[in-house]
Amino acid sequence: MASKPQHHRPLAGKTQTKRQRTTSTNSTAAANIDSNPMKDAFSKYANYLNDLNDKRERVVKASRDVTMNSKKVIFQVHRIGKHNKEEVLEKAEKDLAVVRDQYISRLVKELQGTDFWKLRRAYSPGVQEYIEAATLFNFCKTGTLLNLDGVNAAIRPLSDPSMEPLQINMLDYILGLADLTGELMRLAIGRISDGEVEFANKICKFVREIYREMTILAPEIDDSSDMKSKMDTMLQSLKK
Amino acid sequence: MAGWGSETHMPHSPTVEKLEKQFEELRSQLEDSGKLRERIRAVAMEIEYHADWRSETQTVVSLLSFLHWLETGTLLVHTDAEEKLGLNPTEFGLDIEDYLIGICFMSNELPRYVVNQVTAGDYECPRKVLKFLTDLHAAFRMLNLRNDFLRKKFDGMKYDLRRVEEVYYDVKIRGLAANGESAGKEGDQGQS
Repeated sequence: MASKPQHHRPLAGKTQTKRQRTTSTNSTAAANIDSNPMKDAFSKYANYLNDLNDKRERVVKASRDVTMNSKKVIFQVHRIGKHNKEEVLEKAEKDLAVVRDQYISRLVKELQGTDFWKLRRAYSPGVQEYIEAATLFNFCKTGTLLNLDGVNAAIRPLSDPSMEPLQINMLDYILGLADLTGELMRLAIGRISDGEVEFANKICKFVREIYREMTILAPEIDDSSDMKSKMDTMLQSLKK
Repeated sequence: MAGWGSETHMPHSPTVEKLEKQFEELRSQLEDSGKLRERIRAVAMEIEYHADWRSETQTVVSLLSFLHWLETGTLLVHTDAEEKLGLNPTEFGLDIEDYLIGICFMSNELPRYVVNQVTAGDYECPRKVLKFLTDLHAAFRMLNLRNDFLRKKFDGMKYDLRRVEEVYYDVKIRGLAANGESAGKEGDQGQS
């Protein structure tokens, strides 16, 4: 029983062949009989790792789609003005629903119930972008901050009811909020150039509040290198 | 976790009694740490904190598997390692990647162990270790690894294997292994 690895994965395949030549050829003979339990165990590990990597790929793809489409929603909201508020918001709401149904649902499907914490780095950017879009839309519609429960309530229907629903966690939510302030700054500038100073003022107040709360919160967060840079950007936005 | 530091400097002593005594010490340390682990687990049950414990978990796996090999000559498999750590897969299992990295750390210990054993007069050791490590490396080759930390560790295993092969070679050509006659020079020359 030769111990050649499967080459259905071209990524690792190329270096695998090199390795076969460097180790002694005796090894293939010696590695037969006694090592069967080892090999059985390792073929299980190989399957686990393959599945995990495949899943990771799918999550990254879904996350990218979420990001792109959330950005579209954000652009849409930016088009808002005194005269087209209704229609802009209507379209934005529709687009947001599309993001949820088509893309977030894929994320939920992949991650629900499994060790999703492991793949956090894969899906986090997408989730943050979605939060940015959802909160921006919500602010323009109602002038208030959409909180985490609100966000999660909207996506809960996407989860398979037989398992724990996939919920966005606090850290991603907060990171998304930090990005939101950037967008709000852009919105404020846009509104001012259109002459809607009042609206811009409202935005400024809103951002100031968010910033205030964040400064209290920020030191408590681990893994806060992202957070720190976002706080700085937020301050810049606020000053503008 | 303060206890682990002392355990990584595990001395490789030859005589059986000394070895047994050390096993006892190690076992009792593992037991104590087991109690510590219980307390930590009660607090940090949340999967979110799991990432903070990864390198400790890997170190524990490497020690347990080394111990297991010294006692039985076989590889401690994932499910047994999970059991020994008192983890169960439904709640908070032993992550397979952590397990594999722990095994790689164990492999890192083997060349040094072999050299010391030969210095102390055990000339059978290289052959046994060589077979084990060869099998282990072959098994690892079945995995399709990305270019991450585990992959780096696996690449290191190749060098461990080579060093053990060199020791075995030294012992063999000096006629010290099973079919050898006189106890010539000890086989610890030419080691990196």
